[in-house]
Amino acid sequence: MKCESLSRALLVLIGAALLSACAGREASESALRDASSSVEKVKEDADVLRNAPKDVVRAGESLARAERLTSYWGTAGDVSHYAYLSQRYSQIAVEHTRQALDQERLSKLQLERQRLQLALRESKLQSVQQQGKWLEEQIVALASVDSDRGLVMTLGDVLFDTGEAQLKPSANRTVLKLVQFLQLNPRRIVRIEGYTDSTGDKAHNLALSKARAQSVADTLIDLGIDDSRVRVEGYGDEFPVEANASERGRAKNRRVEIVFSDNQGVLGAER
Amino acid sequence: MSIQLPAIGAVLLLALGGCANDPAPLEQLRLTEQAVEQAKAVGASDDSEALKRANAKLLQARLDMADKSYKSARMQAEQAELDARLAEARVLTAKGQAQIELQNERIKRLRKQLEQDL
Repeated sequence: MKCESLSRALLVLIGAALLSACAGREASESALRDASSSVEKVKEDADVLRNAPKDVVRAGESLARAERLTSYWGTAGDVSHYAYLSQRYSQIAVEHTRQALDQERLSKLQLERQRLQLALRESKLQSVQQQGKWLEEQIVALASVDSDRGLVMTLGDVLFDTGEAQLKPSANRTVLKLVQFLQLNPRRIVRIEGYTDSTGDKAHNLALSKARAQSVADTLIDLGIDDSRVRVEGYGDEFPVEANASERGRAKNRRVEIVFSDNQGVLGAER
Repeated sequence: MSIQLPAIGAVLLLALGGCANDPAPLEQLRLTEQAVEQAKAVGASDDSEALKRANAKLLQARLDMADKSYKSARMQAEQAELDARLAEARVLTAKGQAQIELQNERIKRLRKQLEQDL
């Protein structure tokens, strides 16, 4: 009686073990199928084979191991384990492939970006050069070429009030062009020379001519031209361009002249 | 008949117990710890499903080691290693994608500027 109940309990135990083994086998077979289809997928993908061959080999090895364990001597747990590892290797292979493809794409994009940067720089440079050329033409139109002093631009009498050194607002356009021209030609320097007519005493004329030239220089410096590029000279009533006998001649003689250096920063000699 | 049943039981128990003879998977645990550290180092965080699994299995592997269930410890650690490697790979893939997006954005901006300049 006692022995019989014991053996019955044992039978129940074995039955339960077999049942659970059965359930485990079903789960392991499904895991094996999934792993197998993943391996097939990565093996068919040329990109994966090219970029993650090691991962593919490991996925295949783990799968083969899981398949061997389905024979009588393996447990369902072992099969599931190696199916799991195989599945993971396949997933890792896919990630590594994506990374490699992205890297290729990235280098192409970087080349593309460099090409565009170059194009943009060139186009900006061209527009600056065009602007510079245009300005130079404008400045040359406003200036004349003096045989001794080179390029000379004259700011006329109308840009100052009588007896005043301050530049009138009507000079703004010309001055701005001058500043832009100097900014685009960073090696050029200027000498600003002030002149008056012969009316009034010499000392006053000299001071006024110098003050007017200085006022032009100050404006250039205020607008960002380095003061080392600007020299200032006052000549009073010397070097008239016309006779002081007529009002028209005197008006011509009241002036500020801007002498430009050449491209290398060499100025013509002072008078 | 009634004598044979316990004998079968004993054979079954022996077969099951055979698994306990696996060596301690120290090297595998070291590898797994390294893989988890590396995944974290590249920026995998706790919202990564794969890293969460890796951590849980690594913990289980350590518990199994303490129980001297070396086979289970090895399997847990092996799975955890690959979980961690997958987590790492996914982070790196995402980073690559982000770089491509950034580059695309810059190229778009450059093209726009070029159009304005022309």
